Amino acid sequence: MSDSGYRDRRPRAGTGLDEPADLDLLGRMRSGDEAALEVLYKRYAGLVFTLALRIVGDRELAREVLQDAFLRCWDGRETYDAGRGRVPWWLIGIARNRAIDLLRSRPHQARLREGGILPGNARTSDPSPWEAADAVGLRRAITSALENLPMAQRRAIELAYYGGRTQSEIASELGEPLGTVKSWTREGMERLRVSLWPLIDPKREE
Amino acid sequence: MTEDHQQLQEHVAAYALDSLEEPERARMEAHVGTCERCTSRLDEYRAVLGSLPSGLEPSEPPAEAWTAMHAAARRRQPARGGMERIIPTTWRWATWPLAVGLAAGMLAWNVWLLREISVRPPGPDVEALARRPGRLVILTGTGVRGASARLLVAVDGRHGHLAIAGVRPLPPGRTYQLWFVPASATPVTGGTFVVDAGGRAWVSIMVPISLDDAHVIAITEEPSSGSSAPTGDYLVEAHTWR
Repeated sequence: MSDSGYRDRRPRAGTGLDEPADLDLLGRMRSGDEAALEVLYKRYAGLVFTLALRIVGDRELAREVLQDAFLRCWDGRETYDAGRGRVPWWLIGIARNRAIDLLRSRPHQARLREGGILPGNARTSDPSPWEAADAVGLRRAITSALENLPMAQRRAIELAYYGGRTQSEIASELGEPLGTVKSWTREGMERLRVSLWPLIDPKREE
Repeated sequence: MTEDHQQLQEHVAAYALDSLEEPERARMEAHVGTCERCTSRLDEYRAVLGSLPSGLEPSEPPAEAWTAMHAAARRRQPARGGMERIIPTTWRWATWPLAVGLAAGMLAWNVWLLREISVRPPGPDVEALARRPGRLVILTGTGVRGASARLLVAVDGRHGHLAIAGVRPLPPGRTYQLWFVPASATPVTGGTFVVDAGGRAWVSIMVPISLDDAHVIAITEEPSSGSSAPTGDYLVEAHTWR
């Protein structure tokens, strides 16, 4: 158990008796199964949209990223590699790349983000009681892990992850030596790994 | 652990964040393919990063996002894999006729595309297009000194106009052809066109792939019926655009 006391009790996506596994859905999508696309979309669209909105700061652009990410999975432009981890992480990676490309190609949106103008978050649809509890628990664990980082390390990681900045760009933006930023990134990520990996390791035993 | 490995190991986190610049990024990419320890650590970092969005306050996408995406998905066919496993042996006899039919279809499509492209003088179309939000691609004359082109793509990502200048008028039997080249994939034609006596043209085009998926946009000289793939050098090309 992590220091936050959170233990991820959620069943893996698709491990319920009536829920297809993510890999099954991807396989069916390759064959043109629209129903599989819909299941995968309903399963992860919220997560992908949330990330996209955090990066681009605009609901319409976030929607564009969401649609593009799933369409790239659908038409085969993105291919899942099981060795790279869970399907949602792969989806997150696709969406993040698209969102950062969008951010870089639309400077006015970047200025919107830098101005700290964040859109209001819509409320989610009502989840089941255990889903709500575990989702909130995971969110708190992640939030806690980030809050426990020294601010400099957290800032360096968030600029890289949500802002798509290179190490040099972060150093320039923060007015710090490149070596310092690299240390912050390395140490911060290692702290996050120690905190969160036990919660998310796909091979861990319940 | 060698000193070199120790230095590379310190960059795994930044590599996982896609935050390294060249040449460190390339060195890391080459290294993780050979180092089990760094690969394992990289996988863990990527898993951590993949979970970070779960720490954000959740936002629900608009309902119409699914509707629009579903409609777009229906228009696109997913790539098929493992066709060798799917096609029964008894159907293998159809392979060559199908290939010939496909080649004939591509030729017919190129001819149709040539007919669809019309040469229009700049005027109201340019004015209207310039006012619409879209994307602009500037092609420079890498193969023809002094040549340049502008590709204006409408906000829908499919309709566009190409304006070109500085290339020579071609003799009968030859044409210019526009290409959209995805990374590590076969170039896709954007159509063929001819220029006027002054070496200029203004043509309507249909953009066959998303600009975000194109690695290079280029123009070559081809036979008048067009080609299924570039046969000549890139005369005018672009590698970056907004």
